Amino acid sequence: MEHVLIIGGGTGGALAHDLTLRGFRVTLVERGELLSGTTGRHHGLLHSGARYVLHDPRAARECWRENQILRRLAPQAIEPNGGLFVALCEEDLTHMGPFLEGCAAAGIPARPISARRARALEPNLTPDLRAAVEVPDAAMDAWRLPMHFFATARANGADIRTFTVVTGIRAAGRCITGVELLDLCRHRAFFLEADLVVNAAGPWSGAIAAMAGIKVPVQPAPGVMVALAGRLTQRVINRLQPAGEGDIIVPQRRLSILGTTAWLAQGPDAIEGPPEDHVRRLFDLAGRMVPAVTGFAPHAAWCACRPLLKAVEEDNPWHISRTFDCLDHAVRDGIEGLVTLIGGKATTMRAMAEQTADLICRKIGRNVAGRTHATPLLLYRHFWREEMTR
Amino acid sequence: MKTVRVEMAISRGRGGSIDPPRFERFTVDATEAMSVLDALEQIRLHHDPALAYRHSCHHGACGTCACRINDVERLACTTRLSELGSDRITIEPLTGFRRIADLAVDMTALFRDIDPYWSCLKPSEPIPGACPDSTSLLRLEDCIECGARVSACPAAHAAEPFMGPAALAALHSELTKNPAASDRLLAAAGSERGERRCRRALACSRVCPTRVYPARRIGGLRRQLSGRGPGRSRGGIEGPWREGEK
Repeated sequence: MEHVLIIGGGTGGALAHDLTLRGFRVTLVERGELLSGTTGRHHGLLHSGARYVLHDPRAARECWRENQILRRLAPQAIEPNGGLFVALCEEDLTHMGPFLEGCAAAGIPARPISARRARALEPNLTPDLRAAVEVPDAAMDAWRLPMHFFATARANGADIRTFTVVTGIRAAGRCITGVELLDLCRHRAFFLEADLVVNAAGPWSGAIAAMAGIKVPVQPAPGVMVALAGRLTQRVINRLQPAGEGDIIVPQRRLSILGTTAWLAQGPDAIEGPPEDHVRRLFDLAGRMVPAVTGFAPHAAWCACRPLLKAVEEDNPWHISRTFDCLDHAVRDGIEGLVTLIGGKATTMRAMAEQTADLICRKIGRNVAGRTHATPLLLYRHFWREEMTR
Repeated sequence: MKTVRVEMAISRGRGGSIDPPRFERFTVDATEAMSVLDALEQIRLHHDPALAYRHSCHHGACGTCACRINDVERLACTTRLSELGSDRITIEPLTGFRRIADLAVDMTALFRDIDPYWSCLKPSEPIPGACPDSTSLLRLEDCIECGARVSACPAAHAAEPFMGPAALAALHSELTKNPAASDRLLAAAGSERGERRCRRALACSRVCPTRVYPARRIGGLRRQLSGRGPGRSRGGIEGPWREGEK
């Protein structure tokens, strides 16, 4: 049985689940705690896809398909209360027609409702509201939903090693043979052989690829989010505008999460905490949709670094597609035994994993179909049913 | 930006290795808004990439970053350095869990008495002024399973085995949502490892970062158990609890 070594405990969890179901032997290494890089740090939106219909129809369709699948697979990690896109001015109203057409084209159920009806559902919406559209957004637990994948992968035999840092990639000629690792728990360096290595390190995938002498088209794009200690809406509130700063409020438990900003960074680690002007802008922009947010102090403010797939030169982070790709470095760079997964978002992690596993099966010559769309996941608590570490 | 120099004494060590626990000191220039977790991230980035700690959501929803900060269990992500009122801060791992490395602990013990299938969702409280047809809305449970309560509980570290305040509060919460299972749940609450081991220290309610008030929930279980003859179940549960009650 081929041994696949996955670098990265974010989306890599969904890949570990998929590959174990297809019969591979899987090891996953993560330099810290699982989901501590990007995947666990987002605002918790389970996208309906509606956010992308105006400029990124492929990402919109991917999100809507995955939204429906994850609701079935991990209902205990999702607040299934829907979302609203809200129009606050004449300019917002001009987007209504194209927005509804885009939703229809992507198959996303979208229902226009009056401002009065929207404020009856969500009384904290601004009195300036002009109109709204109901969409099937949801809020997810950004830690517990992906932990379902890790729990199931582990129960199916995947070896998941946290606090294990990749220090090098070893090759024989132009074929990758395995990965050099440092176990922070035992303070030991060791080497792990693999038939195939998958680089799923998100914004750090550039640094991992560089260890194999390869450049990959990943663009680190950090953003700021702010949590308030009060639940102001039941549904996700989005501004009816093309994707941009401060256009979303995601409720979760007794919190409201304001998102988000975006800029392009040289590297994923060069962030010294959330810039204060970004926090102020989020309060201002979210306050236009739900004025009550301005009465709160931040419960937490933090940064997360998106790993965008940079297919073309583009300086505006909002114009770079949120879709994903998996790169076979044998085809692309003449290096065998290495695949890199770039782009995507938490909502589409299962699909990203499925396409990567399809690619791995094609490379290895195994004809095994993916089953993750229809295979129930164990609840995340199963992850701790036995000793977590070796 | 105005900063204050803060000395952070961080407990280091690796369970099972020749690496005894010790404190290592780092200094950070703290802004008003900087959290303890932000400071740990800076130390890992600039001083020691091997520093091990758990973190994920950075906003108090996942529960991974709970640790002992100046001897009190807190979430590192929602604790600002500036609110601690000191320029010397000690950070230690939670008590009662096996240390993996430095501040990172193995949470297996927390889940020993929590059934993996107990529900994670509950009805969402209505928002004042909302129309009444919003009653089927759900939200995630308050408990984020961070381990702070278990670490703070004196009875959880005694010689007698005790399932601890996190499991008992989760059991109480499941009982309110799943009365059909009340015989089985109350049997667990009344077991040797159950409610009887609680010493009413209330430390759990004092440190709980998401206001689950476990001591109050354990009290609810106690009242139910005391009114229950051998082999019989009264079913149901008292409540709703008043906000602010411990």
